Amino acid sequence: MSTIGEALLLVLQIDVLLAILLASIYGLMVGSLPGLSATMATALLVPVTFYLSPIAAIAAIIAASAMAIFSGDIPGTLLRIPGTPASAAYTDEAYAMTRKGEPEMALGICVWFSALGGIAGTLSLMVLAPPLAEMALNFSTYEYFWLAFLGLMCATMVARSSPVKAIASMLLGLLIACIGIENPAGTPRFTFGLTDLLGGIEPIPALVGVFAVSEVMRAMLTPEPPKLPFRRFGSILKGQIELTKKYVAPQVRGNIVGIIIGVLPGAGADMAAWVSYSMSKRFSKEPEKFGTGHPEGLIEAGASNNASLASGWVPSLLFGIPGDTITAIAIGVLYMKGLNPGPTLFTERAASMYALYIIFIIANIIMIPLGIVMIRLASLMLRAPRSAIMPVIVLLCAVGAFATGNNLFAVSTVAAFGVIGYVMERNGYPVAALVLGIIMGSMVEQSLVTSLIKSDGSILPFFSRPVAAVLAALTIAALLWPVVVWGRNLARGRRA
Amino acid sequence: MRLSDRVTGLFLVALGAVAALAGSRLPPVPGQQIGPNVFPVVVGLGIVLCGALIALGVGRHYEAEAEADLAKIAAAHGEAANGPVSWRRAAMALIPPALLLLYVLLVDRLGFLPTAALIVLATSLSLGARLRLAAWLALGAPLIVNLVFVKLLRVPLPSGLVPLPWLGLP
Repeated sequence: MSTIGEALLLVLQIDVLLAILLASIYGLMVGSLPGLSATMATALLVPVTFYLSPIAAIAAIIAASAMAIFSGDIPGTLLRIPGTPASAAYTDEAYAMTRKGEPEMALGICVWFSALGGIAGTLSLMVLAPPLAEMALNFSTYEYFWLAFLGLMCATMVARSSPVKAIASMLLGLLIACIGIENPAGTPRFTFGLTDLLGGIEPIPALVGVFAVSEVMRAMLTPEPPKLPFRRFGSILKGQIELTKKYVAPQVRGNIVGIIIGVLPGAGADMAAWVSYSMSKRFSKEPEKFGTGHPEGLIEAGASNNASLASGWVPSLLFGIPGDTITAIAIGVLYMKGLNPGPTLFTERAASMYALYIIFIIANIIMIPLGIVMIRLASLMLRAPRSAIMPVIVLLCAVGAFATGNNLFAVSTVAAFGVIGYVMERNGYPVAALVLGIIMGSMVEQSLVTSLIKSDGSILPFFSRPVAAVLAALTIAALLWPVVVWGRNLARGRRA
Repeated sequence: MRLSDRVTGLFLVALGAVAALAGSRLPPVPGQQIGPNVFPVVVGLGIVLCGALIALGVGRHYEAEAEADLAKIAAAHGEAANGPVSWRRAAMALIPPALLLLYVLLVDRLGFLPTAALIVLATSLSLGARLRLAAWLALGAPLIVNLVFVKLLRVPLPSGLVPLPWLGLP
């Protein structure tokens, strides 16, 4: 009990509460602008977190990402343009409700079930993390190698793209992580004689490039989205309690699917929304209503993407393996703030962990009032022309990257990764897999090489420890799955 | 910049081969079989394999599904998701990264405010803003960013040609 009291004291600091409030407003604004994703909001927030206390920094990230995932639903509902990729799955459904004259209902569902989903995800984090931490204390480098590898494979398996291209992106990320002297022998690798490359490619500038600069590049080629006509909204929360009672099963299913996808390393909110929406359609009693402005799918997927957000912190906190691209950024901040991820975090820094849960709950509760204010202001917000927002984003990319190490090389890195991200995206290579490869590269290499040195070059110990064997089987299954599907499709194609 | 799978696949084959070769030439740790060479070689060979599969068109049908979904959303607001883009327009996309490189080159000489104003002005105009809006943005945004980052976050941005001591900027 005293730990909870301690945690409450940590959270009820003026700087932490202020960080939550300001980050929430920032997240709501960024998320509601089409083209600016939750990941981008978080990445641009990192330089600011340098100057906050550890708990305030984490609070800012949690609040901003949760709000951005919800507020991405606003332009989706009103304009049929998803504000963040996580809203894309059900944009058509929400817009259909607007066309039927029920935008309040659609937006109400988004804010209400997002908050409930977020709280469900937090509960899962509270329940799942401690026992897993207990187990993880016995892990050796073999288990960590398989875990990291499995995480990378999950990221490629769930990408909405060709699995081969996803694996290629992931390997490209691992190759980029090889750059520098951070390797088992301290030999400069792939530095091309540049001193700036000795320290390797920093993940944050790479992330900013891939997620923010490439978005501005895309804006250069696409026409400006239409403006939103001003409209007055009726009561936003009206009828939500009835909907909560009516659609219990879709809600629970959405939360559970979101939690599972969040826990899987590499798969995040956008994946959770796509899976939940199609699942809702499959299990619904009235699937013919989907696409015509039916609340069921909206409830399930809206809850799911917010639930995945909190459970994405489970692998991040326990193993340092990001659950999605947002926690990938958060891991960097955790290290910087001395809260190094690992199972001991839950024993040694228990108060900080409880504080994290409390922040999640607070963020999801204030999402409701702040979200309603945001919905009412949305028509003003969405009036801002793109030509006024994107220049500021470019400027923030430059200054933010510079601030990560007071080093201009980081700005060049941002530019380079903007181009890499843009070209990859255009050609169907998922950039999230690349980013995870970059972030996890040193961990994968370290656990692989340490394990190989321990075993004197033999690969037998990778399979002989019980947990390692299970993880190995899962990883190999994940690796072979696309091959099996491909073979089956090929066979079917021959028969047809 | 939409290239065929054959082109990107073969590029990956070449990249992976170079990485594996360069990796295998790294000096080993004395008295140790496993050194800094293992990982790049493994990853490089993996990239070669994936590149070859991509060039051969394996896994193409997965993308068709995702693209159909995206096209549906894009079509909703009259935008071609993957339409052919002319080279002149493709060059437009290179403006943001080019401006970032320009920032790297100029910021220490000109100082933050002029460089940032240049970047904002160029981005805004190339997105089709009217000159008035772009000019106001170019004046205002760098100043606010400068104040926040220098005063609140203590990031040492160079003041260069335009020191503003009355605002507390060095």
